[in-house]
Amino acid sequence: MKILSRNRTVRSAALFAAAALALSACSVQGGSGDGDGGGDYPTRPVEFSVPTEPGGSTDLVTRALAKSIEEPLGQSAVVLNKPGANGKIAGKDVFSSNPDGYRVAVMPQSLFAVGPLVLDDPDAVQLEDMTFIKGLAVEDYVMVVPADSPIKSVEDLKKAGNIKYGTTGAGTGSQLSQALLLGLQKVKATAVPFDGGGPTLTAVLGGKVDAAGLQIAEAFEQIKAGELRGLAVFSKERLDALPDVPTATELGYDVTVDQRRFVAAPAGLPDDVRDKLSSAIDEAVQSKEYSDVLESSYIGRWDADGAEVEKQLRESRDQFKTMTEELGVDMKGQS
Amino acid sequence: MDFLSPVLDGFGVVFQPDNLLYCLLGVTLGMLVGVLPGLGPAATIAILLPITYNIEPTSAIIMLAGIFYGAQYGGTITSVLLRLPGEASSVVTAIDGHEMARQGRAGAALGIAAIGSFIGGTIAIVALTFVAPLVSGFAIDFGPAEYTMLALLGILLVTTLGTGSIFKSLAMATLGLLLATIGQDPLLGTARLTFGSDQLLDGIDFVIVAMGLFGVGEILYNLEALRKKAPKAAPVGSVYPTRKDFSESKGAIARGSLSGFLLGILPGGGATMSSMVAYAVEKKATKRPEKFGRGAIQGVAGPETANNAAATSSFIPLLSLGIPANATMAIMFGALMLQGITPGPLLVEEEPQLFWGVVNSMYIGNLLLLAMSLPLIGIFVRILKVRAAILAPLTILITMIGVYTVRNNVFDMYLVIGLGLLGYLMKKVGFEPGPLVLAFVLGGILESAFRRSMRTFDGELSGFLGEPIAASLLGAIVLLILLSVLRAVRSRNKATQNKENKNSDVTPAEREPEDGAEQRDRDPAEHP
Repeated sequence: MKILSRNRTVRSAALFAAAALALSACSVQGGSGDGDGGGDYPTRPVEFSVPTEPGGSTDLVTRALAKSIEEPLGQSAVVLNKPGANGKIAGKDVFSSNPDGYRVAVMPQSLFAVGPLVLDDPDAVQLEDMTFIKGLAVEDYVMVVPADSPIKSVEDLKKAGNIKYGTTGAGTGSQLSQALLLGLQKVKATAVPFDGGGPTLTAVLGGKVDAAGLQIAEAFEQIKAGELRGLAVFSKERLDALPDVPTATELGYDVTVDQRRFVAAPAGLPDDVRDKLSSAIDEAVQSKEYSDVLESSYIGRWDADGAEVEKQLRESRDQFKTMTEELGVDMKGQS
Repeated sequence: MDFLSPVLDGFGVVFQPDNLLYCLLGVTLGMLVGVLPGLGPAATIAILLPITYNIEPTSAIIMLAGIFYGAQYGGTITSVLLRLPGEASSVVTAIDGHEMARQGRAGAALGIAAIGSFIGGTIAIVALTFVAPLVSGFAIDFGPAEYTMLALLGILLVTTLGTGSIFKSLAMATLGLLLATIGQDPLLGTARLTFGSDQLLDGIDFVIVAMGLFGVGEILYNLEALRKKAPKAAPVGSVYPTRKDFSESKGAIARGSLSGFLLGILPGGGATMSSMVAYAVEKKATKRPEKFGRGAIQGVAGPETANNAAATSSFIPLLSLGIPANATMAIMFGALMLQGITPGPLLVEEEPQLFWGVVNSMYIGNLLLLAMSLPLIGIFVRILKVRAAILAPLTILITMIGVYTVRNNVFDMYLVIGLGLLGYLMKKVGFEPGPLVLAFVLGGILESAFRRSMRTFDGELSGFLGEPIAASLLGAIVLLILLSVLRAVRSRNKATQNKENKNSDVTPAEREPEDGAEQRDRDPAEHP
């Protein structure tokens, strides 16, 4: 980015001078490394890009990670929020930079596994663009209805028919999990996508939609307070946080959908740099701060190395694709 | 009084010396980031989050809350002095506030804004204390259908802004609605009007539109004026509002407190709507609506009071329901979670110390802000004495930093310059940016809310009539249009009867909502 303003300064005076000044003031930790050897990496701060606005769970997890990784890394870690286009903006930005280990991104599984089902994007971030470093977190989804809803169980969804279900957005696990469940039930249903967890929660609390898919942290307090009823969770096994809510699988609907987050760098990252980062992350995720964030947000650990991350992404992508195709669930049309 | 004892305990929490200190720290920081456009309270709180790990939860939230409402005070300053509204809720302040500054009454504008903010904020806290449990349900009663109607009402009110002709306002509002459609389709994620660029995928940020059209456009326009005649330093009159100013704004402050408190509870566009409603109400309430857009003090007092009251009441959904009403509240939610407290319906019972400590700290915070703002006004208005040749590049610099911090994206800086040029051309031919910017904000709400409603109503427009609140809002819209038509017809008859009454300034101004509303009203119906 700095390069941009450097190359084109000779335009018109005041505006661009100001722009350049503002730039150099803000992006001190650029990624244009010039030949740092891998051996003494890192010699300057490492930048962690987050593809969301500040405040969401990805942001919280990354900030806790960044804070805890400074010691094992021996350098400061900077968190940079680059929201937009379900992570594509941050992904494109980081993965087109120099693979020197000074710029990494925390990416969501949904961008690669669910996104393609909703949108044909020839320009999407590809798995081949990344060097996978470490898995970080697993977040689970729960399908909820208002406490006073006549729908008491997953079976009741079938009886009720014509279900309007709130999702946290197009191409999210919230949409996919419910679409698959309702698809298996052959219930007529319409997805109503909202802009994230907060608005979805508001809508289902107010009875504006019949049901909604939320992450555990978003729904937990409301379920505890008796405002919402959990119908099913989409994890493999029942969750410690919601022991009374059955999994979709045990109800006979083989739907497991979760959201996973991982750290990735541009493709072509030298192995020694990757190992250094990966062992620093291993150490950082043991810190109390990081553990507290996970615990209070009902987020699980995802302890996976780079190869496992890649495998998980490929598998979930293929699995979701096959399932939606078999069930004839068209995520595009009804998202 | 069982109810009051936790409230009083809350004061005990606030008056602990370290909590007072955190409160002071928060509001001071808030005011500073409010002055810097772009770097909003949301980003500031996110940056400060790691620092709060090791502080007591109550102290941490007191400080973060202080940043949030402190920023509301600070935002006024740039709106009035430099015509740089950093948040949607201070766009309307920029209209009359900056006009007042040009007339040498910047001090009066800032003074009345600070006092109005204080009163609005305080009334909202009192209301929060006593009626929060009663009104919290209001937030979840508003679903897609209600927001559709609310946004329609807002677009109807856009036409009352400023002094320009109805048709110009409408043209600008339409352009604003069009700009709002750039980027990913809000429901399906399909790219629209992005010209194949990833940069536009997420649409244009409000801050960029507002700063480009208002701030940069204004600067470019003023530079032109520099050449024509010798630069004349804007006269800086009395630094404080006069007694007359107070008596003129009394009503505005009272009404602004009410509308701000109520609309602030709504997640989403609450604060923005409240400032627009306040402006429109004042313009209707005054005997001299022609002064609006030309430096009417009520046009500053009403909206500024309302947006502060709204900032306070936006805590209600978070603290009593666990629903974050805006981006800042979402980060507050995160901050609480980091402290091991998940905000939800049980928060008041489980954490009374935290709840009442934070609520009561806002009294102190508002008092501190008032005490800080009034003496600072004298210093801030001196900015206007700085020569334009120095002030203009400085303002551009601040704008550029602000714009960059929104998404850490260089493309946005080019965008703001482009929009600045557009703002300059608009100003040159007499189009006002206010309607464009606000329609831009409301357009985003309107489209997604309308399309969500259609999904829940199985595509039947009549579904709106089945929702009591949405139907009432629709009734209000229809009534407003009818009244305007009636008044327009009557004044036209009068005009034909006595031809010397050529003061047609009022007639088009009264007629304008009619056109705007009908057009917007029909629009969704035609949408399949």
